[in-house]
Amino acid sequence: MTDNPADISEQPPDEAPTEASDEAPTEAPDEAPTEAPDEAPTEAQDWSEGDDLPVAQARELFVVLGKALRAFQLYDENNPVRRRFVTNLRETFEKLWQEVEGLNLAVEEDRLLLGGRAVYENPSRSDSLAFLLYKDGVRDVTFLPGFEGPELDKVLGVLQRARMLKTAEADDLLTMLWEEDLEFFKCQYVAQFTEGAVVPTAQAVEERANLAQVIQGEAEAAQAEEDKAGTAKNGHPPPKIGQDFSPKSYALEPEEMAELKRALAAEMSRDVRHDVLSALFDRLEDPERSDRKSEILKIIRELLPGLLSRGAIESVANILEELAAVRAEPGILDEVHQMECDILLDDLSSTETLEELVRALQDGTVDVPVEVLGRFLGHLRVGALPVLLGAAEQEELPGLKDTLRGAVHGIAKQNPEAVLALLGNVNPVVISGAVRLIGRMGMAEAAAELAGLMLHQDADVRLALVETAELLREDLTTETLVGALSDAERDVRLAAARALASLGHEKAVPVLKEMVTGKEIRQLDLTEKIAIFESYGALGGAEAATVLSGLLNKKTFFGQREPSEIRASAARALGKAGFPGAEEALSAAQGDEDAVVRTAVRQAIEGFLQRAEPGVKPEVDSGVEPGVEAGVESAVEPELEQGLEEVTE
Amino acid sequence: MSSLDDTGLVQDLGGKLLTGIHIVLRSMRLYPVENEQVQQAIDDLQKQMITFLKGEGAFELHIAGDFFFLNETRLRLDLSNFSTFGNLASVLTSHEIGEISVLPGVQREEWAPFAALLLRDPAEDPFSEFVDGLSKTPGEHIDVRPLAEASEPELIERDSLEEAKGTYAQSVKVARDVLTGMRLGKAVNARKVKRAVQGIVDQVLDNESSMVTMTTLRGFDEYTFTHSVNVSIFSVVIGQRLGLTKLQLYELGLGALLHDIGKMRVDTEIINKAGGLTEEEWTALKHHPTEGLLLLFEMRGFAEIPYRQMLMAYEHHMKIDLSGYPQNERVREISLFSRIVAVADGFDAGTSVRSYQYEPWPPDEVLKEMRDNPRRGFDQLIVTALITATGVYPVGTLVILDTGELGVVSKTNPEVEHIHQPLVKVISDARGRPLETPVTVDLALGEHSVVRTTDAQKYGIRVSDYLI
Repeated sequence: MTDNPADISEQPPDEAPTEASDEAPTEAPDEAPTEAPDEAPTEAQDWSEGDDLPVAQARELFVVLGKALRAFQLYDENNPVRRRFVTNLRETFEKLWQEVEGLNLAVEEDRLLLGGRAVYENPSRSDSLAFLLYKDGVRDVTFLPGFEGPELDKVLGVLQRARMLKTAEADDLLTMLWEEDLEFFKCQYVAQFTEGAVVPTAQAVEERANLAQVIQGEAEAAQAEEDKAGTAKNGHPPPKIGQDFSPKSYALEPEEMAELKRALAAEMSRDVRHDVLSALFDRLEDPERSDRKSEILKIIRELLPGLLSRGAIESVANILEELAAVRAEPGILDEVHQMECDILLDDLSSTETLEELVRALQDGTVDVPVEVLGRFLGHLRVGALPVLLGAAEQEELPGLKDTLRGAVHGIAKQNPEAVLALLGNVNPVVISGAVRLIGRMGMAEAAAELAGLMLHQDADVRLALVETAELLREDLTTETLVGALSDAERDVRLAAARALASLGHEKAVPVLKEMVTGKEIRQLDLTEKIAIFESYGALGGAEAATVLSGLLNKKTFFGQREPSEIRASAARALGKAGFPGAEEALSAAQGDEDAVVRTAVRQAIEGFLQRAEPGVKPEVDSGVEPGVEAGVESAVEPELEQGLEEVTE
Repeated sequence: MSSLDDTGLVQDLGGKLLTGIHIVLRSMRLYPVENEQVQQAIDDLQKQMITFLKGEGAFELHIAGDFFFLNETRLRLDLSNFSTFGNLASVLTSHEIGEISVLPGVQREEWAPFAALLLRDPAEDPFSEFVDGLSKTPGEHIDVRPLAEASEPELIERDSLEEAKGTYAQSVKVARDVLTGMRLGKAVNARKVKRAVQGIVDQVLDNESSMVTMTTLRGFDEYTFTHSVNVSIFSVVIGQRLGLTKLQLYELGLGALLHDIGKMRVDTEIINKAGGLTEEEWTALKHHPTEGLLLLFEMRGFAEIPYRQMLMAYEHHMKIDLSGYPQNERVREISLFSRIVAVADGFDAGTSVRSYQYEPWPPDEVLKEMRDNPRRGFDQLIVTALITATGVYPVGTLVILDTGELGVVSKTNPEVEHIHQPLVKVISDARGRPLETPVTVDLALGEHSVVRTTDAQKYGIRVSDYLI
């Protein structure tokens, strides 16, 4: 064992726990720490007279320890069950210290022995504490008073982690215990990895070199030196070694010690990763060693996903900026290395890499300033488009949304064909984003592909299409928007009505007329009614004014008028239309008994008067700007809505 | 048994108390007891002792070898206290005192008489005289026990040198396995490396001089492997002087062990070439720091990427003014750990026969060169820290005494005033006839001095044969 290292070369083979160390611990079955099975040895052992070893108490201790360890496994730190079991363990140790000053146990493969007697036994390797110790070479453990303090939690934690370790990892039980720097828990262990280690020994005396030659040789050398140097100016012989010694030369002043302490503090807080990366880039710029450059690029490529997963976005951004600078410098990276850089960036831009990052950004696991995120995203390549586009569509935080959009736009500008390809993506969010992106980029060549999306099953895709309609060619647009007027989704219908008016597609007039005079429109809500009526009013010309006037003021054969909302919508449309006759129709309805109608008429007249200029077709304000994103709410004035509620009440 | 939850407190308070005792002794040496400085020193000591006793209940200071144990906690030596501890140890052992105990209730008035007794020249029967004198002083809260009777703390049971040999052997084997494995492109067992470095740290903390003795071994294994271990040992020794924690010492030791791993990518013919290297060969060799940096990225098994160790491999030849290699384009400040490794590397390399260095220098001359020649590019403070650990004449230095006898330095003197007066194992008489039983002399006693040092390897002498 290590306490007698001279035994290394004499260690019997079965002391080297090679078999034990190959055995990885399996995870214990998931069960609550109920009363532990009886793990005590079968022999009846009591603390008999004359026997000063607390065998019974030690057995009890390991029962309690087993429960505490199981609780550590199952519950987190703040769980009251875990705390209770750990407290029990602490108390058990405290009681034990009243009887003994320490507990020293021998470790065997399946049991722990106190003075040769088993106080813990468990043949099952998967959950045996004894095996857990034994397999990593521990052969003796000592608990000392004081262990029940913070060290108890540390050791339980280590034991728990040790169970989960894989053989390939650098750590084992002993390395982890070492790191805890325990004072009240000691192990003795067989030194592993010593096969072939040769303990140094002194050479036999008779084989050693002749010492007399040293005396002789040095005497001659000293004489030669003296002859060469001569005596000093004042006639005294040159000083011998040691005579000019000054202790001050070999002591550190307090301020020097303080400087070293400061250096140590700085050392432990420095960004070592940054320093290593700086070294890598320095070497990447070396003119020679092309093979090394490939290796460095490979290292960087392998580092980046790990950095991203830890939220080190700024580090990644810095790396990409450095890389871009190196790439831009002529003569540093050849074609092959440039391609390797491309592969690196493609990897980084992959769906798998970015989806995880986006998830982390959305759930707050990664919190990074948007400008830093923007620096990173700005380096991504076309593979990033689907994920970023989808994220931008769904993001609600304005700053983050803008940053994502900015990145998307940057990539899209370099890769317009990739944007078109996104129209065929399986994710409707991505398609919607692509449609809107096409709109922002003014990609008129996408018209044919866009038109085909009017039948897409996702309402947001259709809505995005309507919003982007300005780009579409005249004939396709009208057809598309008219089709959208009967979409299943309200928002799509609304956007279509407003877009038709905004774009001035007069070909839609017959359809609009049919709608305003039909019965189905009565099922729609007020906002939608107004949008359709206004669109008709804006496009329908004088005929529309006549139709709308009739809807506002005419009575049926039985003296009945149109429903309140229809008449109010007609009034609003007349206000937008502004053709001759519209004003007269509105004036006729100014004193209408229906409050909703009156309010609508008043608003229409006010709007009309504001725009009144002979011969000028008034602007139609449908509340929708060409190409503006979906989501704009209707322009229903609260007053009109309130009036309608009063009437219906 | 220490009852303070945090061993760090015992370390900290213990260090302060020993310093307090030392200051009382020093001031009483210089001034009469009524002097204000003396009185202030006594006040400070009493205050600290009361605080300590409140927390611990007892004060038992025990000397074992080079170390102090306070209530069974070993007090760590570093640059800020090693001289103080050394002085105090010297005073106590001169009176053959192995243990001092102080009980609660100690009065301020008890300290001056106690200190005065310590400052007296030791008598023929030092301990008895001391106890006799102590019995005549007022108060009964301070007691002493002799060196022979003072019991070893339970935690120290072993022969340090044998332990050091085992640790050294294991470490060299691990170095061989790791470095050879890297050269062959095999996966490395990181656990082995970790255990080996932890072993080195433990051994240095337990008994630094035994581990330093191991570095005198020459020809034990291939230079590359022993050198890696030696640099690790010296780095940890320096780190201990700087007050690094155990985990920090591990980080440092690990990087030091792996500092030359890049040589595994340099042609072995260049590494092992006898004689000088051509310019081309030097250029190839100078790539090894960069290669080390890259190789360490391939080392799997560590929970974290070993960035700090990469820096030590990369920076250890850069020199403090960055005039070394490799050259930098970007701003760089060499890490402290790299500077430590550079010093350790320089010292071990300077005292070893390497394939491309015919004549190594004697250790003391290497230290002098490192300290006095700024072109060598070593951090002067760290070189000084190394010297405080190794002494002016490091362990293994072959010396000729003023008696003409030949000796090997076997242990350094911890007191800075005697840093040039180590323990020397006399191995031959003035004619060069080997002594049947080498005798150890303490040069600090002033009866002997070193007149000349020489390089043992020049004469084919293995100094380690006389030390292990």
